[in-house]
Amino acid sequence: MNVEIGEVTKRFGRTFAVAGVSLETGPGVLGLLGPNGAGKTTLLRMMATLIPPSSGSVRLLGRDPAGYGPRREIRRRLGYLPQNLGYYPGFTVAEFVEYFALLKEMPPGRVPQAVATAIERVELGGRARAKLRTLSGGMLRRAGIAQAIVNEPELLLLDEPTAGLDPEQRVAFRALLRDLGQRATVIVSTHLVEDVGAACSQVALMDAGQIVFHGTPDELAAGGEGSGAAGDAPLERGYSAVLAAHRSAGAAA
Amino acid sequence: MTAATSTPVRHRSPRVTWAVPRGARLLRVELLRSAMPWILPLIAALFWFDSYRPSTATAPLYGVRTFWNMGQGHTISDCGPFVAGVAAWMGSRDARRGLADLVTATARPRWAAQLVTWAATAIWAVAAYLLFACVMFASYAREGVGGTPPWWWVAVGATAVIAFSAAGFAVGAYWPSRFAAAVAAFGAAIAMYLSFQIGFSHASGWALILPTNSNGNFDGSALTDAGIFYRWLPDLPIARMMFLAGIAMAALGLTGLPGRAGGRRLRLGAAAVTLAGLTLAGTAVGLVRTADVTAHGVVIPALHDSSSDTPISYTPACGRAAGVAVCLNPAYRRWLPDVTAALAPVLAEVAGLPGAPVRATQVPAAYAGGSLVITMGGHPTVLHLSLGQLNLPGPCGFCAGPVAANQFIGWIRLLFAQSFVGAGQGAGRPAQQAVGAVLLRGAGIPFAAQPGLMASAENFAGPVSAGCPADTKTGCGPGPSTGAVYAAAGRLAAMPATARRAWLAGHLAGVRAGRVALRDLP
Repeated sequence: MNVEIGEVTKRFGRTFAVAGVSLETGPGVLGLLGPNGAGKTTLLRMMATLIPPSSGSVRLLGRDPAGYGPRREIRRRLGYLPQNLGYYPGFTVAEFVEYFALLKEMPPGRVPQAVATAIERVELGGRARAKLRTLSGGMLRRAGIAQAIVNEPELLLLDEPTAGLDPEQRVAFRALLRDLGQRATVIVSTHLVEDVGAACSQVALMDAGQIVFHGTPDELAAGGEGSGAAGDAPLERGYSAVLAAHRSAGAAA
Repeated sequence: MTAATSTPVRHRSPRVTWAVPRGARLLRVELLRSAMPWILPLIAALFWFDSYRPSTATAPLYGVRTFWNMGQGHTISDCGPFVAGVAAWMGSRDARRGLADLVTATARPRWAAQLVTWAATAIWAVAAYLLFACVMFASYAREGVGGTPPWWWVAVGATAVIAFSAAGFAVGAYWPSRFAAAVAAFGAAIAMYLSFQIGFSHASGWALILPTNSNGNFDGSALTDAGIFYRWLPDLPIARMMFLAGIAMAALGLTGLPGRAGGRRLRLGAAAVTLAGLTLAGTAVGLVRTADVTAHGVVIPALHDSSSDTPISYTPACGRAAGVAVCLNPAYRRWLPDVTAALAPVLAEVAGLPGAPVRATQVPAAYAGGSLVITMGGHPTVLHLSLGQLNLPGPCGFCAGPVAANQFIGWIRLLFAQSFVGAGQGAGRPAQQAVGAVLLRGAGIPFAAQPGLMASAENFAGPVSAGCPADTKTGCGPGPSTGAVYAAAGRLAAMPATARRAWLAGHLAGVRAGRVALRDLP
């Protein structure tokens, strides 16, 4: 298992952003769904080794990120795209990706090819020498994805990766996700259930800091059948039904 | 987006030599995209208008030329605030741009990445500083400025730039606000101003460590002869570099202390760097408190290398005045005609008299000042000229205007006459003043012009500026040209030349010894 999380909590003051999450997953694409404030980003940041859990255990790629040495080793094999990606306006696309390849301590000899490959995979090859400040929002997002995948990560964490992408790019991105998921563990946090349906082999649904569903997209879609839950597509109805069930159970308790 | 991992379409970037180490590649990217080059034109303009141009209005000797820009630290204050501001901008970059998480989530410790960003900023700033200084010195060289450049002080400036960049970077790293740059720049400007002002009131002790305090090797009446007769002493520059490097280390170490900077060992290393920097800066302050002012500059015993005391050898530039050889340091060659023109009439006037010099040679001005500009001594008598203490003909940056050759010639003749009659470190006795007045008159300066000439020379070390001897009863100087001294001088001057010379030959020893009174004059 590349990700082994046991009863993890994360507290900010009196608020539990993550309240007892357990999750195990290996290679493949895991879609992390949930409403705003469900704790998806906090969970991803813990998996990105940016913040430690308040309690519980986290093992990533077989290592405990609490120790600096293992954490650094994890980071070498990690790809991360935060929700609000900033950028250096004066950098070109190639420099931006190269910069993060070097920060990820890739073997120097591999960097140029890896940079070129990553840029091509997000279809920015023609804009490799363009300054980031000249790119559209969707192109910037793709540059962010390129830096995340440049080191061919074993664990790839993507927070809202398709925000700002046009439909054509989203379709291409899903194909990229499926390809990456053949070798690596890819965890995609998203609001867009259609992305999950098209690209993910597993889905976890979070609400109020907890994982309330973990299964395949088909299982989630099945949960919505006949429930009368709102939604235009089976996955949306499953999403709504699971959330409604969890909330009503919580209210009853 | 392509899912396949087949060979991608080739594109031209990134176009680098990939054999270089990872850190060097990061540095290359940072150098390419640093904000520092954008501010360099402004610094260059300031450098030109504040550091270089005012210096060109001073005498073409390195000690004088660089007093303004290196001694008073204008080169540092022109760069420092802007460098600190840009460094703060770069230090706050990741957090300001929303990339702190992304950078932190990489394997390279955040502190190490930040140090590369800082290094690129500092490299640009230091390179620009050195370039500006070299261009300035090249311009001086084209003008034939005499002496050698004060490279140690250039090194102090470069270290100051490093310290400003480090301090500014730390401000930005700890306070990643869009206002960090302005605050850091303003803080640096205030620091420079205080350093400059403290220099006016603190000429020794701890304040010598301040980078824009001109007290030190750039102070005193002999500043022009540093780098000409003797080397620029490195003691004080080394202490200042230690201080500035200590500040830089402490500031950079501070950026490595936060939890996200790296692992425990790395943060301990950052703490050690901080402590080492503070210790270095403190040691430097302690060292300057032991500084002594010597004839050739500031000596710090613990840092002093006696090889620095070796005089600079040179082949003198010589001319003749009234048949007497006059030799100057080649750095003063351009003033040799003025000096020989000044000395020729007074040397002719005293030729054949007891104690008349047979040779004139330039001597270095002592750093602590207070020595006479012209002295005579030895057997046969040699005239010693300490020209470094005089305002030389031509541009004079801190004077009311350029120094005219005639004015300089008058000063030389006046100081010669006073030295010849043995006035020593005082106004001289009335008989000495009267004999001196006669010699000056014989050299073409009428009695009526002499009080004005003395007044214009009062800033120079010598009899005209010294206090009255304790036993002088008739005032400090010869007084007005209508007074008793000039009346006696008039009687002596009115004698036939042969008789006057005969009287002088018989009485000069007594005049010099103070045994001849005004009433004894014929």
